[in-house]
Parts: sequence; C-alpha cells; structure tokens
Amino acid sequence: MTDTNNSPVGSSWNSDKFMAGLAKRKRSERRFRLIGLAAILTALTLLAILLFSIFSKGYTAFVQTYITLDITFAESVIDKDGTRDPDAIRNANYAKLVQDALRAKFPEVEGRRNLRTLFSLVSNNASDTLRDMVEQDPGLIGKTVEIPLLAGDDVDMVNKGYIDRDLAEENRRVKDQELRWLDILEEEGDLSLHFNTNFFTQGDSREPEKAGIAGAMVGSFYTLLITMAIAFPLGVMTAIYLEEFAPPSKFNDLIEVNINNLAAVPSIVFGLLGLAIFLNVAHLPRSAPIVGGLTLALMTLPTIIIAARAAIRAVPDSIRQAALGLGASKQQAAFHHVLPLSMPGILTGTIIGLAQALGETAPLLMIGMVAFIADIPGGINDPATVMPVQIFLWADSPERAFVEKTSGAIMVLLAFLITMNALAVLLRKKFERRW
Amino acid sequence: MSFYPLLIVLLLMSAVGYWFGSKKALGAVRKSSSFITPRPHQFGLYVVIWALVPPVLLGALWVMLQMTPLQMETGTSQQIDRIFFPILVLLAAGGGLYISILRINPDLRVRKTIEGLVYIILILASIVSILTTLGIVLSLLFETIQFFKKVPMTEFFFGLNWSPQTALRADQVGSSGSFGSIPLFTGTLLITFIAMCVAVPLGLLSAVYMTEYASSKFRAVVKPLLEILAGVPTVVYGFFAALTVGVFFRDVGDSIGIDIVSESALAAGVVMGMMIIPFVSSLSDDIIMAVPQSLRDGSYGLGATKSETVRKVILPAALPGIVGAVLLAVSRAIGETMIVVMAAGFAANLTANPLEAVTTVTVQIVGLLVGDQEFDSAKTLAAFALALVLFVVTLCLNVIALIVVRKYREKYD
Amino acid sequence: MQIQQIDEQQAARQGDAAEMIIKTRDVDVFYGDNQALKHVSLDIPKHQITSLIGPSGCGKSTYLRCINRMNDTVDGCRVEGEILLDGVNIYGPEVDEVLLRARVGMVFQKPNPFPKSIYDNIAYGPRIHGLAANKDELDEIVLTSLEKAGLIKEVQDRLHSSGTGLSGGQQQRLCIARALAVRPDIILMDEPCSALDPIATAKVEELIDELKENYTIIIVTHSMQQAARISQKTAFFHLGEIVEAGDTEKLFTSPSDERTQGYITGRFG
Repeated sequence: MTDTNNSPVGSSWNSDKFMAGLAKRKRSERRFRLIGLAAILTALTLLAILLFSIFSKGYTAFVQTYITLDITFAESVIDKDGTRDPDAIRNANYAKLVQDALRAKFPEVEGRRNLRTLFSLVSNNASDTLRDMVEQDPGLIGKTVEIPLLAGDDVDMVNKGYIDRDLAEENRRVKDQELRWLDILEEEGDLSLHFNTNFFTQGDSREPEKAGIAGAMVGSFYTLLITMAIAFPLGVMTAIYLEEFAPPSKFNDLIEVNINNLAAVPSIVFGLLGLAIFLNVAHLPRSAPIVGGLTLALMTLPTIIIAARAAIRAVPDSIRQAALGLGASKQQAAFHHVLPLSMPGILTGTIIGLAQALGETAPLLMIGMVAFIADIPGGINDPATVMPVQIFLWADSPERAFVEKTSGAIMVLLAFLITMNALAVLLRKKFERRW
Repeated sequence: MSFYPLLIVLLLMSAVGYWFGSKKALGAVRKSSSFITPRPHQFGLYVVIWALVPPVLLGALWVMLQMTPLQMETGTSQQIDRIFFPILVLLAAGGGLYISILRINPDLRVRKTIEGLVYIILILASIVSILTTLGIVLSLLFETIQFFKKVPMTEFFFGLNWSPQTALRADQVGSSGSFGSIPLFTGTLLITFIAMCVAVPLGLLSAVYMTEYASSKFRAVVKPLLEILAGVPTVVYGFFAALTVGVFFRDVGDSIGIDIVSESALAAGVVMGMMIIPFVSSLSDDIIMAVPQSLRDGSYGLGATKSETVRKVILPAALPGIVGAVLLAVSRAIGETMIVVMAAGFAANLTANPLEAVTTVTVQIVGLLVGDQEFDSAKTLAAFALALVLFVVTLCLNVIALIVVRKYREKYD
Repeated sequence: MQIQQIDEQQAARQGDAAEMIIKTRDVDVFYGDNQALKHVSLDIPKHQITSLIGPSGCGKSTYLRCINRMNDTVDGCRVEGEILLDGVNIYGPEVDEVLLRARVGMVFQKPNPFPKSIYDNIAYGPRIHGLAANKDELDEIVLTSLEKAGLIKEVQDRLHSSGTGLSGGQQQRLCIARALAVRPDIILMDEPCSALDPIATAKVEELIDELKENYTIIIVTHSMQQAARISQKTAFFHLGEIVEAGDTEKLFTSPSDERTQGYITGRFG
C-alpha cells in the first residue's frame, strides 16, 4: 500500500488521492443510479395516481340508490272504468302513483314548490317501471306493494356521500329540507343500493341516474367492425406486397416513406379528412359508425401495415426457397407458407391497432359522432357515439353525478382495452416462433 | 334492377362459370400429354375472373361518372340506372364467361392470369395509403385556399388576436371575426414545452436505468407497466387533467397565495408529459441499445464506472438518436387533442405564463368544427387552415426525426 | 410419331450412358454490376452425379441456381447465355419457371422443412401441381417418396407430427423426399450435408448414390472427399469461371490445370 516509491509503473492507482477520488466516484455512481430509479418510480407513481383517481371516483357508478315506497296501484288512477283495457293501462298517469306514495310518506309537505322538490327525490323513470309492472301483471291493480324505485341523481349523490353537508346551504345543490327527508328515509331503511343494470343496458340520458353506456358500447362495436373489415385486409395486402413482391423502385420507396409518415399524422387530421371526404364529398350519414369506422380504418392502417411487415419479415427466407424449389410460384409461397406463418404476429399488431382505435376520440368529434344520442344504434348507418366520446360528453356535463358515471365508463373502457392487449400478449406468447 | 339482385345474378353466373370451366378443363387436361398442367380449379377461377372483372370495371366507371357534375344535372340518370346499366353489366359478364370458356385448353397459362389479377389487387391495396395522404393534403389545401380568400394570409400568420366566434354575428361591426393565429401557436408551444420538461428527463432517465442497470426481471415487470401509460386513451388523460390535476394545482396555488386557474397550461402540459413518458423511454431505450457493446467495453476497460460510461460515452454517442426521439415526441405533443380540449382553455391568451389558461391549435380545430354550422363560413374554413399548419409542422418534425435516427443507426450498423 | 420418339429416347438412354441432359452455353450472371459467372459452359450427363467444387464465392451455387431459375427471385440478377434442358432453352420466353422448378427439384444447404406435419411437407408439391387425383393417390406418393428417401422406417408411425421435430439428418432426407414427390428429372443439391454430422452425412450420401439410378443429380459441395466419394463428374469453379471439368477420378488424380491442383491439394480454398 505504501511502497509506491519502489515501482515506477502503477504508482498512482492505489495512492490516497486516487482512493479518495474513487470514493467520490462511487458516491456519484450510486447517486446516478438512484436518479434513474427515481425517474421510473415517478412515472409509475403518476400511473398509480391516475388509476386511483379514476377508480376511487368510478366504482360507485356500478351501484345506484333506490327508494323503497309503498305504492298503491289505485284503480281510480290506472283504470277508472274498470275495463282493464290495455290501452287505458298503458296511458295511465303512473307518476301520480309515485307522487301519492311520497305524499303519504311525508304528509306535512305543502306548497307547489316544496312538493315538486319532494317528487324529484324519485327519478322520473319510476313511472315507466310501474307501468311495466302493471302491464305484466294487471292483478296488481288495487293492491299496495313495497317497491324499490330508482332515486334521482341528487339523492344518489347524497347517499353515496359525495355531497358535503357542512357546506352552507346556499352553496349546496341539495338543500336542508331534502337532506331531512333523506335522513328519515335512511332511518326507516327505505334507501338501498342496487347493482346499476341501467348503466350496462341503457343509452345516454340527460338524467345521470338513467344514463348508460350500452349505446356507446354498441356504437364502438359497429365502428370497430368497420375499421377491422377495412384496415385488416388492406393492411395485410399492403404488407405482403411491400415485403414479398414489390421490386425496388422509386414508387415503392414512396409508398414506404408515406406509410411511416402517415403513422405519425395527428389523429385529428384524419377526422378532418373524414369530414371533407366521407361527409362532404361522398355524403355518407353524419354521426354514423360507417364514417367513424372508415376514418379510424385509415388511421389504423399504418399501424397494421408496419406490424404485418415486421411479422412477414421474421419468416426466414429458407421457407420461401423451399416452396419455390418445389415449383410453387412466388404467390403460392407467399400465401401458402409465409402468410400463415406470420399470421400470429399480424393478428397481434391488428389487435393493438384496434385497441388504439377503440380509445380514439378526436377524429370522431370531427365527423359528428359527438351528438347526444339516447337510442342504442341498430346498424352501421344509425347515428351513434362511441365509448371515448361518451366519456368526453359526460366529462363535460355539469351534474355532479356524471363525474361518477364518467369514471365508471372509463373503467369499462379500460377493461376492454386491457382485455384486447392481454389477448395480443397471449397470442404472441402462444404462437411466437423462434427461427 | 337494383344493386343486390344484380350482385346475386353475377355471383350465380360466376359460380356456374367456375363449375363449367373446371369441368371442361378436367376433360382437356386428361387428354393432354403434358406432365404438369394447370389445376382444374385454376381454370374455374380463370373463368370467374373473366366473368367478374368486366362488370366490376364497368361499375367503377359508372360510380365515377355519377360523381361528375354532368350526370347530376341531366335528370335521365334514374332510367339509365335502372335498365341500361344492369343490361350492360350482364352482357359484359356473359361475354366474359363465353370467351373464357372457349379459350380453355391445357396449355393456357391460367396461373399467370390469376396471379396477375392478385398482383394488381395487392398494388391497389398499397395505393390506398398514398391516396390517404393525398386526400389529407388536397382536402386541407382546398379548404385553406377558400379560407385565404376570405381572410388575408398576413392576418392569419401574424395577427395577435384570435376570436373567430364574432364571425357569427353578421350585423356587428368587424363581423368577419379576427383570425390571428399567433396566440394559438404560442399556447401550443407553451404546453408542448411543459410536456417535454416532464417527459424527456423522466423518459430518458428511465431508459438509461432500464438498459444499463435494471435486471432482466425488473425490466420484464416495469416495462409493460410503463407501456400502460401509452395505452391509456387520451380522453382519460383529459378527464384526469381537468378534474384532478387542474383542481389540485389550483388548490395548491390557493394555499400558497398564487393565483392558478384550474385550466392552466401547467396542468394540461404535465398530464401530456405523463402520457409521452413511455414514448420517449421506449424510443431512447432502442437507441441506447443500439450503441455498440464495444464502446461500453472500451470505457469499462479503462476503469470507468457505469455512470461515467453512461454520461461520457453512451449518451454522447446516442445523442443524435435521442434528439430524433425528442423531435418525434414533440410532434406527438403538438398533435395531441383530447387532453388540451378537456383541460386547457378555449380563450386565446397571448402569454408565456404557465399558470394561466392558453389555447392550442387542436383545441381551436375542435371548437370550430364541433356542432352544426355552414360549411363555407370563414370559421369552419379556419379549422382546415389550422389543420394544414399542424399537418405540415408534424410532417416536417417526423421527416427530420426519421432522417436523424436513420443516420444514427447507419453509423453503428 | 410420339411412340417413335419415346423409343428413340429409350434407345439413347440405354445406348449412351453419357447422354447430356443439360447443356450450358456461355452463361454470364450479373448481380447488379457484379459479374458472378463468366462464360460458363458445362454439360451435365443424365443419371449421373455431377459435383461442383471450388472455393467460397467462386460461383458454383450461382450456377446451380441458374438451372432451376431460382436466381429469378433475386432482385437485380441478370442471366445471359443459354441453358438447354433436353434441348429447350430454360430462359426462353415460353418457359414457365414454375413448371421448370417442378422438373428440376432442389435441396438446400440447411434443411428447411415447412413447420407442418411430415405428411404435409411431402404432400405440398403434389398438391399444388395436382399430381394426385384423390387422397389415396396422395398417400401413395407420400409413402413412396419417403421410401425412396430411406426415411420411411423412421417416421411411418408419426407422419402427422411436425417435420421440424426431426433430427438434422432426418430433416434433410425429408427435404429430399419432398423434392422427389414432385417427380423431378433432375435434383439440385446445394451443400446438402454441410449442416449435418458425419453419421447423418453418410446416410444422405448413401441416399444420393441410390437416387442416381433414376435421377440426374448436381451437387455443390465444399468437401473434396465428398465429391470424390459420390460423383462421377466434377467441375471446378474458380472466380466465376470453370477451370476444369470432367471425370471425377481424372480430375482428382491428374488435374490438368495448376489451379485445380492447388485447390485439391489444399494450397488455397
């Protein structure tokens, strides 16, 4: 250690100065490593915050508050003449049944305005529920039954604890009077939470408690169907052409450069393309999945082409040679051997491309898929919206209850995306072939 | 005859042609002395091609004719459509069938015909992507020219005031609205800059750690987790930015006495940066991986530590590639729409203060085009002009980035 | 008329053992601006084994790939001159390269079975060329091909398991069986044993020797011992030219060219 004077070579590597420097370098090494780790952890923390903020807001969207009321199916309201005429039963004033039940529950409430507030505790969808019940079983008429009825969105918010009771009354959407009624209902066990079936079976609605994502899910389904039907074959054909047949030429270079650039064009520009070409030139129906699907297909095409080309390129040349050597034509070699062997890779790329299309919003805003549509679309030409656009629309709505619905819809969308990506990973794991 | 019955008749004809063609070919092939002849089903396909290609070409010609203004003016198209066209199509199909069946003999190179058609179809499919680009450029250019007929170019490019909404009130003085796009560009740049401040350090450092330090197990777990950030739809980020991050920044501002609006550029920028982290990290990952092992070995051989190797050897060597990656990320950020639509403002403020609300090019495109309006008003046309600028800028960034990255890769190949 | 021709051919086959099935006249091959073959002229005798030897990059594989026009699949490759197969120029405009490749089979350096079952590997050629009218005929072709390739005993109870699961030597014999199933006249082999161990090599060589009864075989090889062991004729390629060609025995024992001498004694290569 100390006999540095004896050897002229290698004299400095174990000197004190060097050792001190080494310790400093070791520290800086550790610091650098920690900074890198911190960067990754920061990114992951951000992801965790994002998911937590969505899930903590959204899980309550899957249940909905119901108010149980003693409904008297008074003959005088439903069927004055006692004829049991189906038309009469259908057109009866069921809202009055609900109102009567509420008045019976809170007899002290008087005055038009107070009564209207009282009636708004129950969603206006309650009368439909009652009508369906009576139409199914006219024997109910004249009886009194305890029925859980969908509560209005304010009641739901209070019940789920989203409304701050400590706020001054004038800053609060739900007033003291309503809170009092709700407390009474709560005490008597008339408030209950049920699984929110409406959320998965209904279309959009102005009333948050009735709004569902079924319409948007069906719209997304039709849109993706069109996207897949167009982008997949076109993408595979283009990839096969470029990888297997295209002779090197200026024109084919152009196609290649063009595809790489298209992949990086902002998605909103595709929306403008759809607006200008599909709506204004081809006069396809506005807001329809056919237009949305076409637009997204053009957007997804580069992704699919690039993935398919990589998959085709991964098939070793020896397979092509083997087929050609047996007298197969180039096309037979491509379609009998190369394409089937690259199919898992192509499908993986396609699923990932479709997942992107499923989450895409901006281009669809441009072609009118942003309209309020309550009906569930019945085909590719019906006006429709898609899940991400529905999320955008709800996120824009002022009602407090839509925040919860938005988060719930995001959870459903993420579930779809995770499923699709898991499928892609599975496909790759299962069929990946190492050459 | 309308479309579907015609289609069914055509398909029936080709089915008959297939059957007849392969049958005739089978007989002919049996008699032939050649060792290998085309397969009977190939003859069948050959007949089908002859039966279907002429009608399809006719149909395409027909559709194109109908798109020309000439056809729309003459009111006779209905009748022609219903009687003349189907007859023409059926004649063409029948003629094709007849000729092709006549021509069947074992020496006919039917495979060449079939493969020739497949080849043409493949080329047509490849051209779709070119047509897409062409469609984008032409439609944007056309509307933009219309726009510049109404609003002078100098105002658009150099004007400091953007308020297109006034254009709706025709009775107002200065009803043409003002279309100075500078505030939009500065707003876009501000948010992009903030996003890059978040994404580049985090993404780059993550990539360095992943490639140089992390065990393969750590990589296998963390990489897919980071990729989730890239897979989350932008509308979700928008919702997160508007409802969580924006509000959070406002509250923090309130508590320390700074006025931060809830639609601040900061919130939108930070969330956008978050979205772009995996983009930067996976691109840099590839680029750092491409630095040859020999360079690392050289540095380690001299006794350098890992961090010294990274800072003094790997990062400088990878710099051009990383610059390319950052350019791609910038182009991504500029074109991003939903986050800013939901979390940034609509009002065009000319400011560099990240705590205030700004608007971006994409926000304005959405604002101008969502909802019903006349299509040729300066307001809607302005959206196309903005989109053209957006398209050109992102295209340039991408082309430059791709060239830089390719040059970089060639250096180490 | 036709019958007479066949008779003549048969007479020729029996009479003259050295009937030339392939005649190459002044062939030049270019890859872009690179000339890979220069004025190559070579005749290949029917039902014999001809081996092509020479150092790496001498053009022997290029020449082999000219005979079934596999070079057509390489971009920028240009072939000049004439290659006559039974008197017909295979680069003539009326020749379909696909039918040519059915007549001239090929076995590659690395065994390249399709990732399909053994049965499907062999059945692929007959299927695309329509050589079997029904399933029974196809079975027949597959079994006889396997038998000819000496593989039948090893695989008959697992015809429907994957061809890629076989050992290297078995894979290569599978590839030979696959080529035989198309009933070619000529089989081209591009260093078929270079990826195999000595025992597998011996088996493949044995097989090649048996095949010459019914097929004309042209084999590219790196191993001079192999060329000497199995072939009747040998051509020595050097820098894209044929230096010397003739009976194997003569070429190895008393080469007339100095370069041949140098190569076979191991002075370069």
